[in-house]
Amino acid sequence: MKTTILTEEERKKALSTTKKPEVVERQKLNVRYHVEDIDVNDRPRRFLEAFAAILKHSNYKMVLDHFIRMTARCLRCAAACQIYQATGDPKDIPCYRSGLLLDVYRRHFTLGGLLRGRITGNGYLTDEKIQEMADTFWNCTACRRCALECPLGLDHGLITHLGRYILSEIGIVPRALVVSTRAQLEGPFKNTSAIPVPALKDTLEFLEGDMFEEKGVRIRFPVDVDGSEHVFFPAVSDYLMEAESLMGIAAVFTATGDSWTIGTGYYDGINYGLFYSDRIIERVVRKVDEETNRLHGRKILIGECGHASRTAKQFIPTYCGGSDATPVVNILEYTHRVWKEGRLKLDPDIVTEKVAYHDPCNYARNRWIVNQPREVLKAFCRNYVEMTPTGEDNICCGGGGGTVSIDEVRPYRTTIGGKLKADQIRKSGCEILVAPCANCKKQLRELVEDQGLNCRVVGFHDLIYKAIIFDESLRVEKEAQVIEKEK
Amino acid sequence: MGALLDFARGPLFRLTFAIMVLGLARLLFLDIIGMYRAYRRTTDKKMPWKLIFSRSFEWFFPVKRVIRERHVYSLLSIVFHIGLIIVPLFFFAHVNLWKEAVGISWPALPYSWAFWLTICTIASALFLLISRLTVKAMRALSLGRDYLWLLLLLVPFVTGFICANVDVGPGSYQVLMLVHVLSAELIFVLIPFSKIAHCVLAPLSQVVCALAWKFPPETDDDICTTLNKKGAPV
Repeated sequence: MKTTILTEEERKKALSTTKKPEVVERQKLNVRYHVEDIDVNDRPRRFLEAFAAILKHSNYKMVLDHFIRMTARCLRCAAACQIYQATGDPKDIPCYRSGLLLDVYRRHFTLGGLLRGRITGNGYLTDEKIQEMADTFWNCTACRRCALECPLGLDHGLITHLGRYILSEIGIVPRALVVSTRAQLEGPFKNTSAIPVPALKDTLEFLEGDMFEEKGVRIRFPVDVDGSEHVFFPAVSDYLMEAESLMGIAAVFTATGDSWTIGTGYYDGINYGLFYSDRIIERVVRKVDEETNRLHGRKILIGECGHASRTAKQFIPTYCGGSDATPVVNILEYTHRVWKEGRLKLDPDIVTEKVAYHDPCNYARNRWIVNQPREVLKAFCRNYVEMTPTGEDNICCGGGGGTVSIDEVRPYRTTIGGKLKADQIRKSGCEILVAPCANCKKQLRELVEDQGLNCRVVGFHDLIYKAIIFDESLRVEKEAQVIEKEK
Repeated sequence: MGALLDFARGPLFRLTFAIMVLGLARLLFLDIIGMYRAYRRTTDKKMPWKLIFSRSFEWFFPVKRVIRERHVYSLLSIVFHIGLIIVPLFFFAHVNLWKEAVGISWPALPYSWAFWLTICTIASALFLLISRLTVKAMRALSLGRDYLWLLLLLVPFVTGFICANVDVGPGSYQVLMLVHVLSAELIFVLIPFSKIAHCVLAPLSQVVCALAWKFPPETDDDICTTLNKKGAPV
């Protein structure tokens, strides 16, 4: 699948910025995203210091050494990159982007590079090069589709991840992400959306009331239940924006009768560390593990959120005990399992519109969750259509890599980042687009709005909630309902 | 001239070949040491072997990916690679050379196969060179050495083809043959120090990347201490 290069008018719109010139001047940094005021002096030296510190305490040296010995600049990755396809700017080619950091490594951290640099007297890291990296590393949506197309197996997503990590250590990181992470790790409410526990409980109670009215079944959100099988961590923004998805999840648990709980000590699955810092990943992941241990939960259950699921799945074993770590399950895996076991019944006559499924990159790129949601959807959505390419080759929504949380880059995301995705959605002709990821949902809704697409973006469990059939024994009699209400 | 050619085909061939083998062995060794160190530092020892093998094999037999994007370019790249590997190893004159120099032999390719494969290799190399020169994005990405490598790889193929198929007279033949042998030997020497090292390193890439995503634990403190940021707010 290909898209066309954007027009001059679109380019102007996409690259527009709300930043004031005096801020750019003061911060000596011309990027689209907002950055907190930082030390602007001696940036190259500090960049190299941070680079050196990270290399010393990580495994990146191995991967950089491996790749500086063999990058061939074959340009296959360009065909896969949706950003490059939209801009046509060689600077957006994944290999070029990775090359920026590989060059710094070659010049400053290898013997050959140091000698060559000494002899020729050039190649030293400059402010301009840092500026270029700060710009281009945050243009990338970190979807890692290019890594599949690289014949040499270079994971550009990993290099971009490292580049952002180093930049963040010298203060160059989108303000939106740092502020949220600060609220999560150091704020009074311990989550990125700053939702206090009483507000959370209120929301849950309100949703319980709603569900009771709609379904006639007492569906609960269990809070702080000790010894539950699953401890639930959704993207915390779901409590504000994705009530239907949460209701669907609660409904599934009510139907199956399995135990689950939301912990009030910590209830945020979001981990922005994946987008800019390994140190942050570790801090956040440890909090998830601590809360699960506090509640003596047996499994960590992550809600409909791609990056939260991937960070938990991948980094709980990394940071919290290797093979002894608490197992991580995504809610789609759980729902698929109980459906397969016949413990979840869905009505095939409810959803009649044309439904398509969007693969979040963090689920599908490593072939983790690809077929499970499809099997369930095909079973109860009569009019299911597939978008191509799909599964591990899926096209990113255009807001990956944390960019969806940076509101000031919305024009960029919906004009350049999601251009290919918009074409794909249009081609599929779907009326309902299922996106089981908080990031994808937000980005796709904005994309639908800005590109004038004719479809509705919902979560996977939104549809489950609509179509779920409860066992008669769970149904509360009409009279009892009235009495309950009057109470 | 004859003595020089014998020297180039004998001792010099053995020397340059040895440099290539040792150089590549060194790179492999360094890579494996790096991976071993990384593996020791991680707590999560479970590697996704199934994914790693399946991704690696996709590129050993690059059918699945290649038919999707940039068809002509990708197909010709494959032809180019096949030619680069097969002709030096299986052309009958080369089989004799290997037998004399290294002492082992194997069946040679029929003459007509070698003839057409050489032509295909030269044509695909020219195509790759032209696309590097003409496609805007490729030009922006390419460095001087990318063009030079293609030209250098063309030299032994073109000279070898002329020697084997065109009657140029004994004097020119010897000169061409000398250029043929020396350029091939130059390539041998350069391989371990250039991007062509991917011939042995590329199969390891998937393992390297999978391992690189397994970060070592408890680096937060170390990095903060090194950067003088201990206790600083997020």
